[in-house]
Amino acid sequence: MKTKFFVVMMVAVLFIFPTNRALAEKPIILGCPLSTAFLYGWDAERGIKLAVDEINAKGGVNVGGEKRPFKVEVIDTRDLEPGVPVSEALLAVEKLILDKKADFILGGPVRSEAALAAMPLLSKYKKISILSTGVLTPKYSALVAKQYDKYKYCFRIHGEARQLVGEMFANFTELKEKYGFNNLFIIAQDVSHARGAAKVMKKVALKKGWNVTGVEIYPTGASDFSMGLLKARKTKTEIINIWMDMPESSILLKQWYDMKIPALPFGSTLAAAEQPGFWKATEGKGEYTLCNVVNAGNAPSEATPWTMKFYNAYAKKWDVEPEGLGSSSSYMAVYVLRDAIERAGTLDSDKVVPALEKTDVMGVYGRLRFDPKSHQVIPSMDPKEGAVGTVLQWQAGKRIVVFPKSIATGSIKLPPWMKK
Amino acid sequence: MDILIYGTINSIALALMALGFALVYGISRVPNFAHGALYVITGFIAWSLLRTLGLNYFFSIVLAIIAIGVVGALMYQFVLIRVRGMAISEIIASYAIGLAILEGLRWGGFKGSTYTLPVFIEGSMTIGDIPVDFHRILVVGIGAAVVISLWLFTHYTRIGLALRGMAQDERAALMLGIDSDVMAVVAMASGAMLAGLAGIVLLPLGNIVVEKGYDVLIQAIAVCIVGGLGSWMGAVLAAFLIGFAQILTVVYLGTHFQMVVSLLAIILTLIFRPSGLFGRQKELEERV
Repeated sequence: MKTKFFVVMMVAVLFIFPTNRALAEKPIILGCPLSTAFLYGWDAERGIKLAVDEINAKGGVNVGGEKRPFKVEVIDTRDLEPGVPVSEALLAVEKLILDKKADFILGGPVRSEAALAAMPLLSKYKKISILSTGVLTPKYSALVAKQYDKYKYCFRIHGEARQLVGEMFANFTELKEKYGFNNLFIIAQDVSHARGAAKVMKKVALKKGWNVTGVEIYPTGASDFSMGLLKARKTKTEIINIWMDMPESSILLKQWYDMKIPALPFGSTLAAAEQPGFWKATEGKGEYTLCNVVNAGNAPSEATPWTMKFYNAYAKKWDVEPEGLGSSSSYMAVYVLRDAIERAGTLDSDKVVPALEKTDVMGVYGRLRFDPKSHQVIPSMDPKEGAVGTVLQWQAGKRIVVFPKSIATGSIKLPPWMKK
Repeated sequence: MDILIYGTINSIALALMALGFALVYGISRVPNFAHGALYVITGFIAWSLLRTLGLNYFFSIVLAIIAIGVVGALMYQFVLIRVRGMAISEIIASYAIGLAILEGLRWGGFKGSTYTLPVFIEGSMTIGDIPVDFHRILVVGIGAAVVISLWLFTHYTRIGLALRGMAQDERAALMLGIDSDVMAVVAMASGAMLAGLAGIVLLPLGNIVVEKGYDVLIQAIAVCIVGGLGSWMGAVLAAFLIGFAQILTVVYLGTHFQMVVSLLAIILTLIFRPSGLFGRQKELEERV
């Protein structure tokens, strides 16, 4: 009698709580090699975990009729830290694959150099990777396009440097027309994507008739920018274009404010200024700083119906608003992967790759599709057509989206000491 | 003019970073490789007292510096005393403590760029058309005050004279009734407090990040090697040499060579003058 009762109860439990049944299935391991002590690492981790929690709460992923939950395994790659060799990140990726038995790699490595170095490893183990934070080098998608058969497992769901450069110049052109700006000073961190972007910025700026007043490359970890700022001031610079993801970039912005440099700081991957805590940390000295947070959803806007839903869910779970590059894209990477797995009906990499190539999802930052040749997410200025970016400016303690116009909630303001 | 102003500020900042390391080594011959960690943790202690407990900024600073002095004394009393005289073990032990502090902070969630301390005085002024903020001017003043105070302390107080006696000849000092271990504890506590003071003075210019601990250690070692291990006046002079060399490098060679200066200074010193500018490691020179 007792046994019968037990069996009946067990069956009842299985039918009444199908979610639990999914959770009892073998989980799909998402290996996340992330530089967790840095913004682009920890916000990606949070984005991934939020999506995983939401998906698991709804029963998990349907793999050929079987519901399986996602499980996140994170290893700190430390690749954003100064002086840490790329090999550390490669060890992390390999450990995730061999030791943690990751089915897919999501998020990083975060630094471009490390991500490029990890590509042959992913190819060797036939592991699909969706980059969703940090890495901006155009070389990544170019390599996939050039050696498709080898690197077809590599995808990137966030914007890359060329897209960011285009967005920057759209803003610069507007400032030129409105205020007559013509002098541009470039400050970049001594890392692959920033050096590359600075070179491209200079080339494009000269072609577009801008006067490039200087290019300064600062080593990772540099903590004094006074001489660079003085050079900008001496050369009557009107826009300082900053490519820097190290935390010390907030020193640069504080110095800019204290020295009252009459030039607008316009950053890209300016991690310190992306964070909601930036205002408090600089005691308002970050006002007027502009930064490109790469994708919508990393700052408040109504890009798609999902944007603020994600924004609020993230803020509720982590007690902080989405913080910068990597938040919305890492969140969407999980959803896009789930969608591809369900369409492929298997975890087999060679079958999930074509499914990912056919992705067409209206996500947090617009319509998400991958270029089938380069596996780069297709960008657009219109969220109905593709992945939209976001440029924000700090105004009176708030992150105001000023670009693209399709999702903007305000316009660019100049500091009082450079009013034209 | 800009080179002169920012070169001086940079040099004083380097001197502040290095003085604690130089003092500890000069007196107890212990190379305190936890120096950078003590610099950073003082910033986090002050931040916690100020932002979390809501204490007055001045009291937060004073308490943080006292706390780090205690940490320094405990480090010597419970760990370094056991390996004293064994140079490699001293380096390993102190570096391990530093590593534990820094990685413990990271593990405890102290990461990112939002941990900051307020500047002492808001605002800026122009000196010969060069804008400088008041806090940087204050850094120069505090740096100069620290150097003068340290000189007065080691020349006109009983403890200071005992510390100098230890630094000059530990055996002779012992014969005169100076307790070498007590003096080493005092030196370690003072060195830690100097590291903490440097953190308190310099961290408001930017943010408190764990990685800064490693950078400060490298800068302090570079300054002390160039100045001569054990000579804190040599350290001050070396801070000016490296500080101005860094600024000149930024202006004439490029910003990305800035970090190379300290390391190059170490290499050149070890090749041409292994005991440094004012060092007394003659045996090292003889060996070379």
